[in-house]
Amino acid sequence: MTDRPLLEINDLWVTYWGRSLLGLSGRPFHAVKGANLSIRPGETLGLVGESGSGKSSIANTVLGLVPAAGGSMRFGDEDLAGMGTRYPSNVRKQIQAVFQDPYSSLNPSMTVEEIVTEPLRVHTTMGRSERRQRAVELLELVSLSREHLERHPHQFSGGQRQRIAIASALALQPRLIVLDEPVSALDVSTQNQIINLLYERRDALGIAYLLIAHDLALVHHISDRIAVMYLGHIVEEGPSDRVYRRPAHPYTKALLDAVPLLDPQAQRARRAARKAAPAIDAPRVSTTGCPYQNRCPHVMPRCQTEMPPAYAVDGGGTASCFLHADRPAVLPASGTGKAA
Amino acid sequence: MNPSSASHIRPVPRRFRWRLNATSVITVTTVSVLVLLALLAIFADWLAPYNPLQQNLIKALQGPSAQHWLGTDDLGRDVLSRLIYGCRIAIIAAAEATAIAIILGVPLGLFIGYKGGWWDWVVMRMVEAIVSIPGIMVAIVIIALLGPGLHRAMIALGILFSTSFLRLARGVVLAEREEVYVRSARVVGAPDSRILLRHILPNIAPPLIVQVTLTVGAVLLAEAGLSFIGLGVQPPNASWGTMLNTAAAYMDLNWFLAIPPGLAIIVTVLSVNLLGDVIRDSIGRGIAVGPRSETATASTDTDVPAAGAAANPLPPREDEVLRVEGLRVVVGEGAGVPVITDLSFGISRGETMGLVGESGSGKTMTGLAILGLMSAGLRTTQGSIVLNGKDLRTLSRRQIEQVRGNEVAMVFQDPTTSLNPAFTVGSQIAEVLRTRQGLSQKQAWARVVELIDRVGIPRPEERARAYPHELSGGMAQRIAIARALSCNPSLLIADEPTTALDVTVQQEILDLFRDLQDEFGMAILFVTHDLAVAADICDRISVMYAGEMVETAEVGALFASPRHPYTRGLLSAMPHASDRNPPLPTIRGNVPRPGSWPTGCRFSNRCDFRIAACEARVPLTGTDRLVRCIRADELQLERAS
Repeated sequence: MTDRPLLEINDLWVTYWGRSLLGLSGRPFHAVKGANLSIRPGETLGLVGESGSGKSSIANTVLGLVPAAGGSMRFGDEDLAGMGTRYPSNVRKQIQAVFQDPYSSLNPSMTVEEIVTEPLRVHTTMGRSERRQRAVELLELVSLSREHLERHPHQFSGGQRQRIAIASALALQPRLIVLDEPVSALDVSTQNQIINLLYERRDALGIAYLLIAHDLALVHHISDRIAVMYLGHIVEEGPSDRVYRRPAHPYTKALLDAVPLLDPQAQRARRAARKAAPAIDAPRVSTTGCPYQNRCPHVMPRCQTEMPPAYAVDGGGTASCFLHADRPAVLPASGTGKAA
Repeated sequence: MNPSSASHIRPVPRRFRWRLNATSVITVTTVSVLVLLALLAIFADWLAPYNPLQQNLIKALQGPSAQHWLGTDDLGRDVLSRLIYGCRIAIIAAAEATAIAIILGVPLGLFIGYKGGWWDWVVMRMVEAIVSIPGIMVAIVIIALLGPGLHRAMIALGILFSTSFLRLARGVVLAEREEVYVRSARVVGAPDSRILLRHILPNIAPPLIVQVTLTVGAVLLAEAGLSFIGLGVQPPNASWGTMLNTAAAYMDLNWFLAIPPGLAIIVTVLSVNLLGDVIRDSIGRGIAVGPRSETATASTDTDVPAAGAAANPLPPREDEVLRVEGLRVVVGEGAGVPVITDLSFGISRGETMGLVGESGSGKTMTGLAILGLMSAGLRTTQGSIVLNGKDLRTLSRRQIEQVRGNEVAMVFQDPTTSLNPAFTVGSQIAEVLRTRQGLSQKQAWARVVELIDRVGIPRPEERARAYPHELSGGMAQRIAIARALSCNPSLLIADEPTTALDVTVQQEILDLFRDLQDEFGMAILFVTHDLAVAADICDRISVMYAGEMVETAEVGALFASPRHPYTRGLLSAMPHASDRNPPLPTIRGNVPRPGSWPTGCRFSNRCDFRIAACEARVPLTGTDRLVRCIRADELQLERAS
């Protein structure tokens, strides 16, 4: 691991301020509480979690749509956290995005050509014919063609729209693309087409991906490393195969076990085992200690008072869980420091 | 099913044709009125028979005659000529005031809507102050400052009407700003001005265009009003307003004077407003993409079931609660575009049947068709839906309403929108109990608490008093299930009930469905796109593709040996089905939309096993398990070898 990370996030906090009745600022809500992440050039990091885990807040902060409330975010030599939401052109060009819903992420009044070449118009001085030339190349990269240039988004299916969104994200040859649930709005039979396309383009163009998704199984296919988030904390991080096959954090394991199996027999056995386990009835959110303590089958007294640091795990990566307290801690407990 | 009735194409009904014509008649009329007006204004110098200012006191206040078609006014000026010159004033006035309103209102509205915060607050308070004063008062105050005269009056009107453009632009931008395409534009790095003008403005154009037409009408009226009270066009110049002013003064001597300017104002304003309606409707049509009706005729021909299919209906199962037979649903006028064809299945008491398919397969439509809740334009044209011995298709609307909620209930995908946000969740369940089962307030509430407890929500008395937004998604779905169960239905239709939930919550809800079925014994029709969820919850699964059933089997058999190539493709495409790096297995192409289904086997254009015989319609065949593929047996052999 000699090469420098492309994106390095340290102790990142993202905070939203609620609005009270009179329009004065209300109570803060910390969506991300001290996250540490890094992505090397050409690498794919899968960021997995349920709704409210803070994974999309990290994506929006990296994209400069939401300012960081604390911590640092370095992209190459640039300090992103210090720029707030105003990235200069040379940074913007290098970080692009593909969003979840292909039905609302493409401007309905623009043609495919205009959508795909919009980044070129903003960041380059290319002439019209040159841009068109590039648009055709880009469409071919995503298995569309010249004949689609003049059409409007409503003439395409969900999968085709996502291809257009990908073509647009590739236009400036970025070094990082943030993929925010890129296939979860698509049909099962087209999901894999898009996954394959993303995988091919990454290898051909050497782009790094930050892949945000809720489905560990899907993320595992395309990621080099996976980070799992729970209520604003990154609870586990490590090589994709290790996290998927040998999850170290009880939450990661619960997440994997909750996905129904395609084998009805095995699923029945799993349900029986689940029923036999004692039911947990407690609020999901806890104020001190480990965020997962109320739902964790392995909860210890220590979990209620102390936030576990990130311990090294066999097979690579870390897990923030006292079950691994026999191993050295590589990072201090997240969320212990307050936002700057 | 009678093939000849299916292939018979009825002509477009008369009523529909008439409506088409009415719209085009209105368009042609309004456009010609406005074009005429413009021509009159431009060529007034040539068209007007007299100089509009030329006085002839001898011929004052005459009625219509061969010389003066519309008569003369108090100073003997020709009314027709004045009316024609008035067109010019009307057009200048409308253009001026509307342009000022747009130029002031739209950019400011866009800006404050996009920026929000302090800017928005200050400007909106000013706008509120302006609109709280009667419009004519504001205009009079502005004219008092600027002095009377047409152009000054129009500046005043422009400022006044700019508030409606400002509020409209701001409101639309506030909504558009949250759209993902705006977020994409920000990620691309487009500056704010470009995002506003290039990305947002084109999308808010339709409501703005309608607002323009409304404003033009209002300006014409306001100009006439201001001129009438002497603040607009100054005598002796001719405008419709000053003409009315004159007419009012000489009402006793020549009542006809009021007719020409009055009619001119009415016809013009009416035309402009009607044109606005037409424009609004045509803009809406451009964006909506429905099934195209041109292709309808083609697919109607091919919809004849293959020989033998209709003659071989599935034998009824034991203890059946629901039996759907030969169901066909179409969308649109006339023969329509088929959305579901030749659909037959049954569900027994205590059984869960899964209806699995991708978008456009017709699975959700099937659930809605059973409940009689399909949206406008959709209707069942063939087949029967028999619930507990009654054919729901033959029942009246009232009778269906009785069945709904009593014998069949539904749980929808998004619990936060299927519950009414204005009422506590307990009162929503109690309402069903009171109206359907005639329980008293107290009895109903006791039952509500019992039901909420039953669906696994802790502290039920307290939660019954919660509003939907106070509950998590999983909790809200439990409430929706409790409401569906409140009348002890014999059939529960669950449409993607776990799709909007997190996986750990999904697992709990699926467990709940199982437990409740063991206890209450209802039949469940479980609609889902997720085969793994279906494997977990269903006893039997029907796979749907492009409006028809392609395979039905017991859950174990289906997953052990899928027989239709589409089922097999779906199974191998599931994210946790394959264990390797990309390329992951895919099904090529896209799900075809209704109206563009291939003739013959509807999966044939995406199938790897296609042969020439797939060009013909394929029947659903088999005894214990059904499959709609002519090569099913052969492919089975290939897999075994």
